[in-house]
Amino acid sequence: MSEILDVPLRRPSRSEAAKNARATSKRNADVTRLLPQPLLVTVIVVLLLVVLLPVLYIVFASINSDVSVASGAFFPEQLHLDNYVKVWSTVALATGLLNSILVSGIVAIVCALLAVSTAYVLVRYSFRGRLTFLRALLGLQSIPGTLMLLPVFVLFSTAATTLGIQIIGTRWALFVTYLTFALPFSTWVMVTYLRGLPRELEEAARIDGASSWRILTGIIVPLSWPGIVVSAIFAFLLGWNDVLFASVMTSPDSRTAAVALQVFGATQEGGAVPLYGQMMAAALICAAPVVVLYLVFQRYLVGGLTAGGVK
Amino acid sequence: MTTTASAPERASAAGRPEGTTPSAGRPARRRGRSPNERNRPFWMLLPGGILMVLVIVIPLVLAIVISMLDLDQYTLRSWLQAPFIGLGNFVEAVTKSTLLRSIGISASFAAIAAVATLPIGLFAALATQNAFRGRGLVRSIFLIPYVLPTFVVATVWRTMLQPGGVVNEGLDALGIHTGLWLNGPQSYWALIVVQIWSSWPFFYLLVLAGLQSVDQEVHEAAAIDGALWWTKLRYVILPYLRGPIALALIISFLHNVNGFTLPFVLFGVPAPQDVEVLPVLTYVTSFQSFRFGLSASMAVASLVLIAIPLFIYLRAVKLDTGDEGGKR
Repeated sequence: MSEILDVPLRRPSRSEAAKNARATSKRNADVTRLLPQPLLVTVIVVLLLVVLLPVLYIVFASINSDVSVASGAFFPEQLHLDNYVKVWSTVALATGLLNSILVSGIVAIVCALLAVSTAYVLVRYSFRGRLTFLRALLGLQSIPGTLMLLPVFVLFSTAATTLGIQIIGTRWALFVTYLTFALPFSTWVMVTYLRGLPRELEEAARIDGASSWRILTGIIVPLSWPGIVVSAIFAFLLGWNDVLFASVMTSPDSRTAAVALQVFGATQEGGAVPLYGQMMAAALICAAPVVVLYLVFQRYLVGGLTAGGVK
Repeated sequence: MTTTASAPERASAAGRPEGTTPSAGRPARRRGRSPNERNRPFWMLLPGGILMVLVIVIPLVLAIVISMLDLDQYTLRSWLQAPFIGLGNFVEAVTKSTLLRSIGISASFAAIAAVATLPIGLFAALATQNAFRGRGLVRSIFLIPYVLPTFVVATVWRTMLQPGGVVNEGLDALGIHTGLWLNGPQSYWALIVVQIWSSWPFFYLLVLAGLQSVDQEVHEAAAIDGALWWTKLRYVILPYLRGPIALALIISFLHNVNGFTLPFVLFGVPAPQDVEVLPVLTYVTSFQSFRFGLSASMAVASLVLIAIPLFIYLRAVKLDTGDEGGKR
């Protein structure tokens, strides 16, 4: 991420020239400094604590005993690494993860491909309704999911009764829903990315007689991998993070990891101490793929994150 | 998002040689129909366009239709035959349900959480603007709350905030004795705190992007004038950040108002009445009490909440760079 955000950052090296550069950089840093040193340190330390305490708590609680978590202990009193073993049999976490990976993964790929072709037409061609289309891409992101849930549900169950296609309860329900709801944002990300690409290559190819499809697959797609990765990851995250649609449209076989985690909440009502340790372990397991994705693609994602303001 | 949307644009604008700006020298070419305009590959818009019409636009219309039907679990199967009752659901929602209270809770919660993330995100961005050893790590850590899936954040905070949990114990140790967090009036503040915790990095990112637009010369001029840090911040830097901050406020508000997962997972259903935000109320009315028509009218009413911020947002975003499509 630093690569993207800090243009003026200089990398120190051992040579004389680099030493000069470092001196300049230091001077620049003094000039551009915005907060006095004590305040700067305070801000950073406080924020690090605020962020890291709950994060460390997840890790500690996931290897702690349930009683100890229930009594409010931060550090584990005795190690319960078996939480990570038991969690797989307590809830159908493996099925959930598999469903999440399958649905979100395929949504990510299909969504990115649709987004790049849609964005290509929007950026490179003019037509009536183009601005409306662009505006709709932004507006549709802000439609609340709770507004869409019921009519989509009704639409899918109508398809079951009239066309005989059973959608609700299958992975298809989630696939179609996530794909569509991810499209506006992914397309917008691609629109902003393609705007930055030079036209010269395309025009040369067009003079050579290449079709629009050839230009898209042969020139645009290879040039816009960073944008495609970003829009694919956001589509993936939309599917992975959803609870609303998954809680209504899934059967036990098609449950995603997000819904599987909610089962812990339901089993808590028994009166016995809830399985806190396993719950935290499961939470950490559900978060891991997402965190890894972010860390790997951080430098692309930070730019994309600010591109539309959607989590 | 202006920032971002404009980041590549700015780059392309800078790279464009003088005289090829859209205003100069183009109109002549526009008059003749270029081969580009004759075979425009509209079919490429079709797959995405059809999906969005089928699964977003049609359901949107359907939502309005359902909001005017007396639809429950018995009539759902043949919903087209459900009795049409006009605005009856809306009247019932306003007079007999907790809709108005939920709208109040949603709006105030979304506004408070959005405004409260402003100073946090701002100072975080100001503090990490300059290079220091370990800054990359600090920035990565700052993003963690935003990166974690909301259902994970809510599950973890639910565990931490339970009676006798780690939050109560920790505050007790500091001599602060608090009551229940997941029930009663304090639950409202619990929701706000957790929302702030998980969403401030977004504000931070937008402000950080805004800081990139402050030129080195501006910093130097302020330094030559010998401005104190807060004078410089107030009169030199903040004016540059007005746009990104306004945008971040609007987007945060929209995001908070529409947020379902956090209140749903944090408090469960039925939600305590102090945190029965509009999305949760809509969901419960549909899938717990099975009053589908009533629920749809609530969902449609929620559009009122997002209409104004959404309108401002759409006006503020630069849709077109003036360098594409029609100009060729």
